[in-house]
Amino acid sequence: MESNIKEIRSRFHIYDTCNWINTHKFTKVCLQFPDELLSISSCIYEELKKETDSDLYILGDTSYASCCIDVVASMHVQSDAIVHYGHTCFSKVNIPVFLVFNEKYLNLQNVFQLLQNNKTIDNLDKLCLFYNCEYDHAKAILAEHWFQHFPKSYMAFIDLTSYSTNNFFGRVIKNKDNEEFSSDILKDCVCIFIGTSGHTFFNFTVAVAAKKWYLLDPETMQINDIEQSSWFKRRRFLIEKCKDANVVGILICKIAGDQTKDIINRMKQLCKANGKKSYIVSVGKPNVAKLANFPEIDIYVMIACPENNLYDSRDFYQPIVYPYELEVAFNSNQEDYLTTHVTNYDELLSGGKHNKDIAEVTESTDVSLVTGKLRETKIVSTSACTDLVEKQNWEIDNIGFNLKSKSWRGLEQKLGETEVKQVEKGRDGLPLQYSNEPE
Amino acid sequence: MVNFTVDEIRGMMDKKRNIRNMSVIAHVDHGKSTLTDSLVSKAGIIAGARAGETRFTDTRKDEQDRCITIKSTAISMFFELEEKDLVFITNPDQREKNEKGFLINLIDSPGHVDFSSEVTAALRVTDGALVVVDCVSGVCVQTETVLRQAIAERIKPILFMNKMDRALLELQLEAEELYQTFQRIVENVNVIIATYNDDGGPMGEVRVDPSKGSVGFGSGLHGWAFTLKQFSEMYADKFKIDLVKLMNRLWGENFFNPTTKKWAKQKDNENKRSFCMYVLDPIYKVFSAIMNFRKEEIDSLLVKIGVTIKHEDADKDGKALLKVVMRSWLPAGEALLQMIAIHLPSPVVAQKYRMEMLYEGPHDDEAAIGIKSCDPEAPLMMYVSKMVPTSDKGRFYAFGRVFSGKVITGQKARIMGPNFQPGKKEDLYEKTIQRTILMMGRYVEAIEDVPSGNICGLVGVDQFLVKTGTITTFKNAHNMKVMKFSVSPVVRVAVEPKNPADLPKLVEGLKRLAKSDPMVQCINEESGEHIVAGAGELHLEICLKDLEEDHACIPIKKSDPVVSYRETVGEESNQMCLSKSPNKHNRLFMKACPMPDGLPEDIDDGKVNPRDDFKTRARYLTEKYEYDVTEARKIWCFGPEGTGPNILVDCTKGVQYLNEIKDSVVAGFQWAAKEGVMAEENLRGVRFNIYDVTLHTDAIHRGGGQIIPTTRRCLYACLLTASPRLMEPVYLCEIQCPEVAVGGIYGVLNRRRGHVFEESQVAGTPMFVVKAYLPVNESFGFTADLRSNTGGQAFPQCVFDHWQVLPGDPCEAGSKPFVVVQETRKRKGLKEGLPDLAQYLDKL
Repeated sequence: MESNIKEIRSRFHIYDTCNWINTHKFTKVCLQFPDELLSISSCIYEELKKETDSDLYILGDTSYASCCIDVVASMHVQSDAIVHYGHTCFSKVNIPVFLVFNEKYLNLQNVFQLLQNNKTIDNLDKLCLFYNCEYDHAKAILAEHWFQHFPKSYMAFIDLTSYSTNNFFGRVIKNKDNEEFSSDILKDCVCIFIGTSGHTFFNFTVAVAAKKWYLLDPETMQINDIEQSSWFKRRRFLIEKCKDANVVGILICKIAGDQTKDIINRMKQLCKANGKKSYIVSVGKPNVAKLANFPEIDIYVMIACPENNLYDSRDFYQPIVYPYELEVAFNSNQEDYLTTHVTNYDELLSGGKHNKDIAEVTESTDVSLVTGKLRETKIVSTSACTDLVEKQNWEIDNIGFNLKSKSWRGLEQKLGETEVKQVEKGRDGLPLQYSNEPE
Repeated sequence: MVNFTVDEIRGMMDKKRNIRNMSVIAHVDHGKSTLTDSLVSKAGIIAGARAGETRFTDTRKDEQDRCITIKSTAISMFFELEEKDLVFITNPDQREKNEKGFLINLIDSPGHVDFSSEVTAALRVTDGALVVVDCVSGVCVQTETVLRQAIAERIKPILFMNKMDRALLELQLEAEELYQTFQRIVENVNVIIATYNDDGGPMGEVRVDPSKGSVGFGSGLHGWAFTLKQFSEMYADKFKIDLVKLMNRLWGENFFNPTTKKWAKQKDNENKRSFCMYVLDPIYKVFSAIMNFRKEEIDSLLVKIGVTIKHEDADKDGKALLKVVMRSWLPAGEALLQMIAIHLPSPVVAQKYRMEMLYEGPHDDEAAIGIKSCDPEAPLMMYVSKMVPTSDKGRFYAFGRVFSGKVITGQKARIMGPNFQPGKKEDLYEKTIQRTILMMGRYVEAIEDVPSGNICGLVGVDQFLVKTGTITTFKNAHNMKVMKFSVSPVVRVAVEPKNPADLPKLVEGLKRLAKSDPMVQCINEESGEHIVAGAGELHLEICLKDLEEDHACIPIKKSDPVVSYRETVGEESNQMCLSKSPNKHNRLFMKACPMPDGLPEDIDDGKVNPRDDFKTRARYLTEKYEYDVTEARKIWCFGPEGTGPNILVDCTKGVQYLNEIKDSVVAGFQWAAKEGVMAEENLRGVRFNIYDVTLHTDAIHRGGGQIIPTTRRCLYACLLTASPRLMEPVYLCEIQCPEVAVGGIYGVLNRRRGHVFEESQVAGTPMFVVKAYLPVNESFGFTADLRSNTGGQAFPQCVFDHWQVLPGDPCEAGSKPFVVVQETRKRKGLKEGLPDLAQYLDKL
């Protein structure tokens, strides 16, 4: 028991955490745990409480994804800061955050053995090393070994303090002389990621333009190169789908940040500029059943953390796209051929690297290769004309447009059409299994 | 030296009774384009001497190089008929009073079966067809196919026996043998006509008859042709017999005895068949004299037939001289023109009986009456049957026929695509017609306006149509019927640019390609692959070449050709399938079963379709397929796309709120029918029965979100429990070859899973015809394989015929369908392996 507590104290940086809370004089602090760490949350709480007088609250069951900082939940207790445990996606928030990673042991010797055995990697000099956040504790020694073996290479450090433009997904690229570089240099580099395959790594392979990506899994001790070209093909298809859509659902799956509001506005503007209807849909954690309740919506654009895995699910009735994909579809100023993705939508907003003015759209028609039919871009003119215009079929155009194609529109009396019958016994029991249903 | 002007033609357009819209149709290599040249040379667009070598209507370079027509091409021509010939036109609606000139709009169409969609598009805008048959090979597959299509569109045929030069020079047929050959071809053609046309129908009798002059004979290559009318004219005075009577005597069982000068109905030792004696003998004489270089005989013959050799031709002999002589004696243009003007209907005559086949709306509205009377003052009704690329990249002329009213440059018109429905806005545009033009082979000429009964092109409407459509000024107009093609796009290749950055260009190119061909499909699949689908290998080859060179202008990588499959079921589900909604409060009970043979085809052909009255449909299904009548009345929908060959039937009894979830269940059904459970291919021939449904009493708990995904899951469970099967497309393959090569054909077919179901000799020729079914998937490289195994003597024509179950169980590892499923799943980026029933089936 004693050693256990000791291990927790060091693994979860109890001392540093308290130090941070005390120096900033926070009075209310939330401790956010992912599901897998909830079991030891009380233990951590106890340890922290020993060294700080602040009020501590434990947050669990985060609304969307536990990698994101749950600002909304923390606001319920009006806390001053959040301590986030476990895997994180490094999204920016407007509240002080202290990140504690779920540390894992890294066998450096084996890692470098593996790298040197791989001839294709060993012979290259333009390399860049990435490591997942659970190995952050070993970064200093990792860097030392790395630059010793590959002196001309780069390494991407997790950097929580730097807000320079070179920072992407919480990381900054440096060479052995500690000079910072922007992510553009990776175009000529072969990148190696130390960690398990998952959404963090996947996000890198699609969103960071590199010559090639290798995954080095320290648990299985294997190194593999990863290609995502079929994923890009599928995304390009979805971009075509966006162009076909008439009604776009803007699905909110993110809690934190002012950026969220900005991106929602941007998506709305894009839809409007292209004559598409848009609706904001907020249904908590989305699932198949919730989203299929709006069959009138043709496509969903999901505002979520870049590591969300719903984007690729094929079970949904309507496809779900990234904000960037809607941009590519609706904004001709964006480059329309996609080789790398922009999963972090911050970059689409003003000031971001991929921010482009929304292009003027003219009325036009073209052939959709998805449906084989003609599709039309219709712009609703917003001229300030005050003349009275006779609108035909106004009610059909607006209220009943979707309703018209349905066979059941609700509350039809069907007077005289229903047969008169004797009363008979109906169903009873619980909906899970009515009493008259067969076993 | 064009001997007519645009103004002359425009003047003629108003004389609608003197217009003939016609297409030239035939089997591949029977000489359509060459024959067409004879007509064009008569109109004076190309020099007469080169007729037969130029292929004026083959406007593309590859067409000229390969000597094969790929696209149908239109030309307008102006001819004058002599007074003596005009009397043959008796119907007052077939000529304007005091007008000798005729305007002939001719469309030359491809003969290769892969391009038969072009023929369909040509037939739609014409009223008559010149059917060309090579008299050496006789009536072939494609002759029958196009003739059948023509009759179905109510197009009146006339017949031309081509390549007589070959019969005489190569085969050296005796006169009587040649007559028998002709006689048999006429009979064959009339049998086909009789099969598909009802003599008592609105078109009346359309049989071809040499003694009426509706059958021509000759050689397109050498530029000569005749009908019995020409020969009768030569003899009428001499015999003092009425022209029409003599024509009757010159064909059939009529024999003449030169010594007694008596006609007889039977052959005896003294007499001779009149056709041989008066028609073939003189031709044989000319041929033998010239080809055997008998100088004196030639000179005396020339005097007899009234041909004088021009100075520049004086030193020719042999074949060259033969051409000159025959061409001056029996000019092909003259004979053809007479056939066309006399025997093919004018728009006034044809539109009267074609209207009901052409118009979807009520047969008594303004548009229908306008079409019926071919009235240029009625509202405009024009059908655009295809798009013709312009020199301006990415833009097209919309090519079609004005059936009613006038199409005018600058006119505002309604452009309605095939998905337009009256009263709705989908697929409807109101735009200005920028320009109207006249299409003339390689050239176009601007023209102010075009009245009803004519064929023309439009500039500025191409952006609002994909391939075809209706153009009208009548607000309540319905669509003109969409064309039905005899071929389907079953062969597919995936394309991608060699340089990935060229992708936008490829996409743009694919969009253009989709417009430029009536049949090709360019599809962006769920996996993101770009697919081009066509009728056959040749069709695809041409499409891809166009894509690479004209439409996208970038180097392209293409996959090997593949076919698309369909998913179906082998038997009824072996259990009642239950799926519960995510909230567990709604339960669906369903089963799947295969449709009876023939029903999927009936749905494809529109004999059973969602727009039918449900009672009539139920009666049909009960009578033909023994469906239970109450169930047949409760077909909820067809799918995929609301029209496909799968149905969802409500077999429930007294389920509460069922009508409220119908839309959601239908949506789930459309989804599952489009993406089947095995490999996300379309379903085919599956009937789903809903047996019971338990729904939550509160509407909020049985919304679309609960029902749509659950329906899909339940349908998938139904499929998996009903012995899922794959279907593959099968070609009907007709191979013509000499007897020695038949053995080689069997060998090739056997290796490719093909099976022969008919083998017969073409009467009067040494040729054999072998008919076989061949899976499309096995047909790649078939032509080349066949040629190498038969010494180049066998020539196949393959046309999609039906879908057939691919033998084997796709759930059994190692079987052929299993391999196909796995390959398809891999290509589509789906999880490999087999779908798991437990994922879809729930327990109570």
